[in-house]
Amino acid sequence: MIYPDDLKYTQEHEWVKVTDGRAMIGITDFAQDALGDVVFVQLPEIGVSVLRSVGIAEVESTKSVSEIYAPLTGVIAEVNTALEETPELLNQDPYGAGWIFVLEVGVEAEIGGLMDASAYQALVEG
Amino acid sequence: MTEILRTSPLDAVHRALGARLAEFGGWEMPIQYSGVIEEHRACRESAVVFDVSHLGSVRVSGPGAFAALQWAFTNDLNRIEPRRAQYTHLLDERDAHVVDDIIVWWLEPEAFTVMPNASNTEPLVAAIKAAVKTAAAGEAEVLDVTDSRVVLAVQGPEARARLSTFWPEAASVGHFHVVPVTWLGESGWASGTGYTGEDGVEIEVPASVANELWDAIVASGVTPAGLGARDTLRLEAGLPLHGHELGEGITSLQAGLAWVVRFDKPGGFRGAGALRVEQEQGPSRVLRGISVEGRQPPRGGNTVFFGGDDVGEVSSGNFSPILGHSIALAFLKPSVELGAEVTIEVRGRELRGTVVRPPFVRRP
Repeated sequence: MIYPDDLKYTQEHEWVKVTDGRAMIGITDFAQDALGDVVFVQLPEIGVSVLRSVGIAEVESTKSVSEIYAPLTGVIAEVNTALEETPELLNQDPYGAGWIFVLEVGVEAEIGGLMDASAYQALVEG
Repeated sequence: MTEILRTSPLDAVHRALGARLAEFGGWEMPIQYSGVIEEHRACRESAVVFDVSHLGSVRVSGPGAFAALQWAFTNDLNRIEPRRAQYTHLLDERDAHVVDDIIVWWLEPEAFTVMPNASNTEPLVAAIKAAVKTAAAGEAEVLDVTDSRVVLAVQGPEARARLSTFWPEAASVGHFHVVPVTWLGESGWASGTGYTGEDGVEIEVPASVANELWDAIVASGVTPAGLGARDTLRLEAGLPLHGHELGEGITSLQAGLAWVVRFDKPGGFRGAGALRVEQEQGPSRVLRGISVEGRQPPRGGNTVFFGGDDVGEVSSGNFSPILGHSIALAFLKPSVELGAEVTIEVRGRELRGTVVRPPFVRRP
């Protein structure tokens, strides 16, 4: 399993990359491996305001569906439309081409509540 | 109470290959090795091997065996002969729901192997024992031999070619034929059957020589595949899965499998009375395929609408790796015709689809 040091993580196995008040979000290597082959991604809508911990997207594999939660409060700024036709990017490159959406961070203070790589690794590997 | 799961004699081999295991009918079996979609494509394009040892193997032998199975099951063994395989149903005596769908291997004139779904082996054994008494045509021994053997399914357009590189006698078994084979000095059986919509061979050998057979099959260029791909393959082929398209509350006629039921066979069969009532009235729902727009998979239990009306329910659905969009099997009102444009409600969203006759993917 890979846990890049420059990312933050959530209990729901999402990663967050915060740059200049914008946060890019995807699912972790552990999450994609557990899901299996991803066949469908329901992306959020650009411009929508989201609250932290609320379900805003779905990732579905051949065997199950998982909800994607907003890791931070904010406004959806970008979505990865490449996933509509090639959802397998989530399996192939979860920390890169498999990103799901970007949001404008609404509450900076929430960032401190995310886990760093070593805390997330400890969560996954117990 | 913790349920103790049964495992295949090849369990250690699967773990060494990095298989992901999951519970299936009381067994812990490989759900995938490299990935469901890769394994699915390998089956459509070349060849895969599944360990299907979780299926039951029940040996029925003796002078009363033929008559007992004729009474127990819906299909007619007079339509085949020894060394042939037949697909058949075991019905509930009262309401004619399909207790199990079964492959029968007719080995010798007075010897059969009956292969139920994993979780149905016990009720099947009880039903056959009862049928031995009902048919009253002589003694028959009914023996569950599941623990003594493995069953491997080698499937795909190149399955026979790969198998023939090291074991021509198993590779050459005809479609729905059954032949005795020898592997490392041990007796087994090969059958030209499968559950993927592809050509292929299913092989039973004693558990003691199973590792060597698995290794030889894989070494011949056959890809290991798990029950995840087996499910997406059978769905594309429009084949029923017990618990979804067959089971409690579902009859052979509703599932579109009237050809499995031989009302005219001499002596009748268990459950025929209740099923005949439905046949005369016409089933209240029929199994159809739905070709779905987009990649989102419908799932069992989703409601199907036609012209704003609730017309039925999805039994199985998934993304089709070969077609590149989703597909579903659904029980619909008979009034909904082939070609009808329907919608399926999936977690508050509506997916559009067209009613079709399965299979979705046909062997070229």
